[in-house]
Amino acid sequence: MPARDELPPVRKVVVVGGGTAGWITAGVLASRFPLRGEDGFAVTLIESRGQPPIGVGEGTWPTIRATLKQIGVTETDFLRECDASFKQGSHFVKWVDGSDADAYYHPFTLPVGYEEHNLAPYWLEDPRGQSFADSMCFQAAICGQALAPKQITTPEFTGLANYAYHLDAGKFGPFLQKHCVDKLGVRHLVEEIVRVESKDTGDIAHLVTKSGELLTADLFIDCSGFSSLLIGKHLGVPFLSQKDVLFIDKAWAVQIPYPTDDTPIASATVATAQSSGWVWDIGLTTRRGVGYVFSSRYVSDEGALEELNGYLGARGDPTRDLSYRKIDINSGYRQEFWTRNCVAVGLSAGFLEPLEASAIVMIELSAKSIANLLPSCGGGMRQAARLFNDTFRYRWERIVDFLKLHYVLSRRTDSRFWSDNRARESIPDSLREYLEYWRDHCPWHEDFAHREEVFSAASYQYILYGMGFQTHPATWLLNDRERNLAREKMNESAKYAKALTASLPGNRDLLSKVRRYGLQKI
Amino acid sequence: MVDRVVLNNQIHRDVRIAATRPTRENAEVNAISVIPREFPRLLAHYPIFYTKNMETGRFEPSALLGFQPQENLFFVDGRWDAAYVPLQIQRQPFSLFTRRAKDSEGKPPSLEVAIDLSQAVQSPEGERLFLEDGQPTKFLQDITSMLSVLVAGAKETYAFTGRLAELSLIEPVQIEIEFVDGSETKLQGLYWIAAAALKALPAAQLAELRDREFLEWMYFQMASISHVSALVARKNRRLSGVTGPRRPEVQNAGPG
Repeated sequence: MPARDELPPVRKVVVVGGGTAGWITAGVLASRFPLRGEDGFAVTLIESRGQPPIGVGEGTWPTIRATLKQIGVTETDFLRECDASFKQGSHFVKWVDGSDADAYYHPFTLPVGYEEHNLAPYWLEDPRGQSFADSMCFQAAICGQALAPKQITTPEFTGLANYAYHLDAGKFGPFLQKHCVDKLGVRHLVEEIVRVESKDTGDIAHLVTKSGELLTADLFIDCSGFSSLLIGKHLGVPFLSQKDVLFIDKAWAVQIPYPTDDTPIASATVATAQSSGWVWDIGLTTRRGVGYVFSSRYVSDEGALEELNGYLGARGDPTRDLSYRKIDINSGYRQEFWTRNCVAVGLSAGFLEPLEASAIVMIELSAKSIANLLPSCGGGMRQAARLFNDTFRYRWERIVDFLKLHYVLSRRTDSRFWSDNRARESIPDSLREYLEYWRDHCPWHEDFAHREEVFSAASYQYILYGMGFQTHPATWLLNDRERNLAREKMNESAKYAKALTASLPGNRDLLSKVRRYGLQKI
Repeated sequence: MVDRVVLNNQIHRDVRIAATRPTRENAEVNAISVIPREFPRLLAHYPIFYTKNMETGRFEPSALLGFQPQENLFFVDGRWDAAYVPLQIQRQPFSLFTRRAKDSEGKPPSLEVAIDLSQAVQSPEGERLFLEDGQPTKFLQDITSMLSVLVAGAKETYAFTGRLAELSLIEPVQIEIEFVDGSETKLQGLYWIAAAALKALPAAQLAELRDREFLEWMYFQMASISHVSALVARKNRRLSGVTGPRRPEVQNAGPG
């Protein structure tokens, strides 16, 4: 066995693909390892020109704030240049029974008392006529009025309520690119890759570009999108389809202009259930992004388009002179994400319907994990890959479960899409076991194995109780001390909601102010 | 209710403004925005901190006047108890009104003097604004130039504080004070110069601050912090009427 220092160092990284995944990954790595030159760390990003972004993943999770901070951009520049707006959660409309009153929030702020106590049983015991989100979190009230999560005097990346962003993916990549190249020393190549060549060991040796350059690296990161140039085409890692669990396989996407410059901007992603899927509605500063993700097993392209126009028409939006874009969705993920000296991040690793905006958060988690696991030399590569694969297989499985939960809990009977979604054979065992467990136990931290879950017990609580799931914990598991605490916290939360709705600016108002004055760093 | 109207030499020809400004409603504030050009004169009386403008979030220097909302310890028995009154107080009830004419793209907006007539500022013995022929009086001319100084000052202020913020030279400060009656207060939303960051500033940036007069302004502001003690003493006098000044318990050592 060679001595460790004789093994090849891991200091040259090539990222393939210049979309959101590529630039986030390059930015996280380059900012974490700033030493360049002879003894330093080198990041090269190569992309071929003219690949339009997919444009489905325009919602993010609050983790994005830490990621942007890590990369080193300011919140002001980000908001201005990516037409971004503040997102405080999701609003699910017509998912439970399809009636007009059917709507609930999944806010980003945790339920009251969550740091130490699981108070959900006490809301179930006596909801006092209020929804779970309204009782247990002040944020639903803020979202209901399209208010911002902060004031103009609140420092950048901090909020009075937890928040993420809606962003224009077409502008986010170029925004990060500029920062990565100008400030972080990332080398950027716009070139076509004509060939990938391997060593005898099976590791990738280099990429051959159209101009004949051999691009060598110690680690290749495949952010090439659906084309999966390295992980799929070259290394042949199988793709595990999830279409038997999640039926969505197509989408119509469209951009809707605002009627006036001061039209309020919604503070949450609105997801409205339809006959064979659901419509996303995302407010940026400059336009709304709307789309219908549907299952072609249950509705034709034309039928789906008609439904989408029905959604727009009912809202009073224009339905003429719009250019609709059709997107194919292949739900699933790779059997492995890191194999040999190649790791896939973004769409090349997998894709699921954007119901809970999991795409960008998975990119962030992947980039962070790569940075944390990155071995100093080639000898550590196999173990890093194993750890990464274990964690991310678990994460994809959990996301599939969590998305499926939204369908399983629905009581809609208006189409086979909804009843088939509740068929036992379409529900993963893991989810069925959880649901069985949650019949007499409210979701809590210990229910999940990992330190950093994509969707925590809080998210499960918001969906389960937002959709009317009933948990019946045994009476001896409840006590007066927590019962009183729950009342106290819910009252406090209601007061805070009142104070905030009276003082917070509108989402639009604050974004206009940021455009004009910027946010302070402190 | 604010009743702000642009001055007009016909409509306001006979208006007379009381000389004993400022009025109670203008004076009942615990901090007032100030401009760097005032610093030398403010330095005789007031502690100056940086605060965030509620409308824009930008930093601006403010003279601290009291410890509770609407508490102005410099306003005693209806009179201002200091030789120098901050311009933002002095200018009341006048303000500049920005008029942007339609189709005036590119042209600077015209500035006109406005008055808030809702305030109890009129008095038969007061100063006139216009002469018989409609020309402004010396009094109004002085007001107008004061307002121009404030407009120019605001521009300088934001260039100044914007640069300080960029260089991370501003940091939040929390001051806890115990008064003579045992009551305590925590001052929040105040910022000052980050002494460590200033000490570590590269020479080129230090030179830039000096050349733009910013360094001088910073030192005026830093020196003014010592007046917190005097302000506490005013408060203690108001609380007890007998006890002498008591030192404030400033938690962080002041810069400079």
